Amino acid sequence: MGIRFNQVSYDYSSFAQGLYTAIKDINLEITEKHEFIALVGHTGSGKSTLAKHMNALIFPSEGNLEIFGEVITAKRNKKIKYNNIRKKVGLVFQFPEYQLFEETVEKDIMFGPMNFKITQEEAKKIAKESLNLVGLNDSYLQRNPYNLSGGEKKRVSIAGILAMDPEILVLDEPTSGLDPAGKRVLMNLFKDINEKTGKTIVIITHDMDLVYQYFNRVLVMNEGRLIYDGDPEKLFREKDLFKNHLDYPNTIKVLKYLNETLNLNLNIYQKTLEAALSEIERVVKE
Amino acid sequence: MKSIIIGQYIPGKGMFYKLDPRTKIVAVLFIMISVFLLQTIFQLLIALSVAIILLLIGRISLLKVLKGLKPIMILLIFTFIFQIILNREGTPLISHPMYFTIFTLIFLILAFIIWRVLAKLLRFRFTLFFLFAGSVYVILRFVDFGDALIEPFNFAIYQSGLEMSIFVVIRLLIIITLSTVLTLTTKPTDLTQGIEKLLHPLKRIGFDSESFALIISISLRYIPTIFDEANKIMLAQASRGADFSEGKLKDKLKQVISLLVPMFIIAFMRSEELANAMESRNFVPGEKRTRINELNFNYKDVLATVFSILVLAGSIVLRVI
Repeated sequence: MGIRFNQVSYDYSSFAQGLYTAIKDINLEITEKHEFIALVGHTGSGKSTLAKHMNALIFPSEGNLEIFGEVITAKRNKKIKYNNIRKKVGLVFQFPEYQLFEETVEKDIMFGPMNFKITQEEAKKIAKESLNLVGLNDSYLQRNPYNLSGGEKKRVSIAGILAMDPEILVLDEPTSGLDPAGKRVLMNLFKDINEKTGKTIVIITHDMDLVYQYFNRVLVMNEGRLIYDGDPEKLFREKDLFKNHLDYPNTIKVLKYLNETLNLNLNIYQKTLEAALSEIERVVKE
Repeated sequence: MKSIIIGQYIPGKGMFYKLDPRTKIVAVLFIMISVFLLQTIFQLLIALSVAIILLLIGRISLLKVLKGLKPIMILLIFTFIFQIILNREGTPLISHPMYFTIFTLIFLILAFIIWRVLAKLLRFRFTLFFLFAGSVYVILRFVDFGDALIEPFNFAIYQSGLEMSIFVVIRLLIIITLSTVLTLTTKPTDLTQGIEKLLHPLKRIGFDSESFALIISISLRYIPTIFDEANKIMLAQASRGADFSEGKLKDKLKQVISLLVPMFIIAFMRSEELANAMESRNFVPGEKRTRINELNFNYKDVLATVFSILVLAGSIVLRVI
């Protein structure tokens, strides 16, 4: 069993504004194997707060959640080893600057595994493997993480979490700030990890093209509530996504526009550019 | 951390909000000096009641100020206890032997356990602490049976010790209340502008009050931001198995480094960005700056200044007589 949210709410409190409810009454189940989930919603809808619950970085104000059998409630339980939960559910933050601190990439990736009592040699081996996994070669091992480009930093920070070999991987906007090619490389990498190892992966993203193309389950957050949980196909067939501050994928938008202006009869629900092109070809030939 | 009221500005209405920051700084300074000039408890009590009346006039909730005093409470209690125990002048008020026997030890341990259990269950921590302290005194005083572990010792409170401790505590209370009123009712930006204007005459001896004020206001502005960032970094490292509340001391050292390095780097990045943003809006260091809201004196400021000067003069007169 993976992660299960039972009626989870979370309030931020601050002196100036009082209580602010970030997420409300969340019921959600994520199994530990073979899921590939997108978490979408506009800024401030509670996506990141939800993600932080998944490895018990923050505790619910109300309700509880079960993570691999451990029940997380509002109060810290001394019997639970929270570090072990974080080993099982790896969370990659949006900005790599928050976690990189060592003078070499190798040492930085080793930091995670070393926290779980393994030898230096093993950690080194794991560091190398996970660096290769994110598509960087061995020459990066001895470089200073702060001299890398934004995309490279991001990959190193992902490698730092992958090195802990989590069973579920949660990524907060891993593709933000990357060029389109870099985005695809990373997404293919995640899909690859998901298919080869069967690890469940949860990805927070704003990119509807990616959601439509890659994912088989999508969670939509709006004003702290989970308003949709299911197939992206069905989500994009709904009429009024804009009221939830969402947008349609580009393929759907373009094909729909073609239908309206040229009076064609295209099937607008095409996931990839190639599929859209062949659909246009088909209709034009007719 | 978020409940600390000292140094916080809370928007509101009332007399003190309308005063010029320069007036407020000078008045608070004057009144503080005069509080230090006072010599008897009676004078101080009058000063305390004046301070409370000022709060009432300014429509500042006493409850808020009291809440803000909470973190200082421990300091106040320690000052009180040290004064009362260490000051041995004047006539003794209480003087009697204290015993420390096996039974005392047992009772002390019992009291301690009861206190900790109650503290876990109930919410009145301060009250419970006082009850515990009181029970320690009662046990030491009255449990005189059983084998003595150490020789009975003498416990004494002297008159001047009691007076001095009350004196010091009230003085601290007044000073903290006054400075809380200042920061509670003045925006940090106004406060720094006030300091800048007050220190302006020092330019003749080469002190750049404008840069000084700018440094203060930028640091104040970035305290919450850096706090926020530290929190995020802590969470990011906790996700890599470095939870601060678990693990051994040796591991914790490494974890502190994993927190400090990103914090410094992010702080440097931020300062560079801020400098660029300021320059791109035409900020030139040392140039004369104008402001949207210039500070203005009005009749209220005159009244407040006159009042604080009168207080100062009065306390000087009392001191001399």
